[in-house]
Amino acid sequence: MSTRKFSIFRYNPNTPEVKPFMQEYTIEEPPGMTIFVALNKIREELDPTLMFDFVCRAAICGSCAMVINGKPRLACKTLTGDLKGTVTLMPLPVFKLIGDLSVDTGTWFRHLSVKTKSWIHSSKEFDPNAIEDRMDNETALEIYEAERCIECGCCIAGCVTANIREDFLGAAGINRVARFMVDPRDERSKKEYFEVIGSDEGAFGCMGLMACDDNCPMQLPLQMQLSFVRRKMVSFGLSAK
Amino acid sequence: MLVQKILTRNPKAELYYDLVELFTGIALVGFLWTHMVFVATILLGSDLFNTLSKSLDDYYLSYVGIPIIVLIFLMHILSAGRRLPTRYQEQKIIWRHAKMLKGTDTWVWVFQTITGAAIFALASIHMFVVLTGWPITATTSAGRIEAFWWFYLVLLLLGEYHAGFGIYRQFVKWGWFPRKPLGYVSKVITVIILTLGLAALWVFLQLGGA
Repeated sequence: MSTRKFSIFRYNPNTPEVKPFMQEYTIEEPPGMTIFVALNKIREELDPTLMFDFVCRAAICGSCAMVINGKPRLACKTLTGDLKGTVTLMPLPVFKLIGDLSVDTGTWFRHLSVKTKSWIHSSKEFDPNAIEDRMDNETALEIYEAERCIECGCCIAGCVTANIREDFLGAAGINRVARFMVDPRDERSKKEYFEVIGSDEGAFGCMGLMACDDNCPMQLPLQMQLSFVRRKMVSFGLSAK
Repeated sequence: MLVQKILTRNPKAELYYDLVELFTGIALVGFLWTHMVFVATILLGSDLFNTLSKSLDDYYLSYVGIPIIVLIFLMHILSAGRRLPTRYQEQKIIWRHAKMLKGTDTWVWVFQTITGAAIFALASIHMFVVLTGWPITATTSAGRIEAFWWFYLVLLLLGEYHAGFGIYRQFVKWGWFPRKPLGYVSKVITVIILTLGLAALWVFLQLGGA
């Protein structure tokens, strides 16, 4: 069986006296091995101290995102066989580093939800016994498209603006707002939407480098979502008093 | 919130900045491409070049157009330049990030900022030299280019790069077209204009100065 060398970022914020370094591991490579499988193998066979995140191993939970050979990717969705030579693994930038490859995306996305007020703003009283309002299929699909985001953080890690500006909501945040803007149940006014995302923290912070669009593991149409929100923000901003 | 921020808050400021960046950028690309087509009239002979220059003068287009372009140029520097990361750590982050990600569009942007800063300097010199040697004629232009062909070669390459990719990125940001064909079209136009510019430079060199 062939072997594969890994070069993995090591750093524990609890022991800052040990400076960040790259550690190399070599393991056997069975066919069809994912980075997720490889990391578990390394931890079991070579180094129980290696820290990394995973939950579902099926590209649904978004926990195992990391920088694989320079690109933000899901460890569970990336086959070692598709990569050449030594595989270099780094934690995602922008998010708080827990240790080695493990980062805290939860706090960041929680902030995003609060900041963008990610819930349906409706004045209607909810009646649990009533039949749901109908929604046309096209709108439902548009909402579903944006909702496919698994909040892995790859778009944020790839974004230059997010890397230098901590308050930038990035593609995940702007895509989230796009989801509510197409939802007919959300009663937010133009002005309210503009307040939420019509700034450098939102739509106008984007410089259009499209690393989000290039690196989204779910292939969300992020260029179109970002530009949709940008255009909407211009019309909302110019028409709102 | 802090009192100085409350008193100066303008929620639409970023919107206006973004629009100014867009419209000044488009105007400058339009100007540059027109400028290069005008310059390229030298390919059809000095007489046509001189007639064009003179008629722009006679109809006061130069006197109206140049101050407007200078103003747009400055507005573009202020609006697009606001994105320029100037701090040491930001610079380090960006270079590290670009090398790591190897994203084409990310590198294009890094060079966009570099070419932008360089054009600010070089185009200012170019404008100063042309305006102090007014009017524009084939002979004076040929003289300038004979002496400073390397300066014009650099400015041409920087300008075309910045304009070609600048227009691409604005279209990408506003989502009027999908990215792939857009990149192709902007490259084709850039190559055409660049060829015209290089040919014009060559002809001027052959003409020689007065």
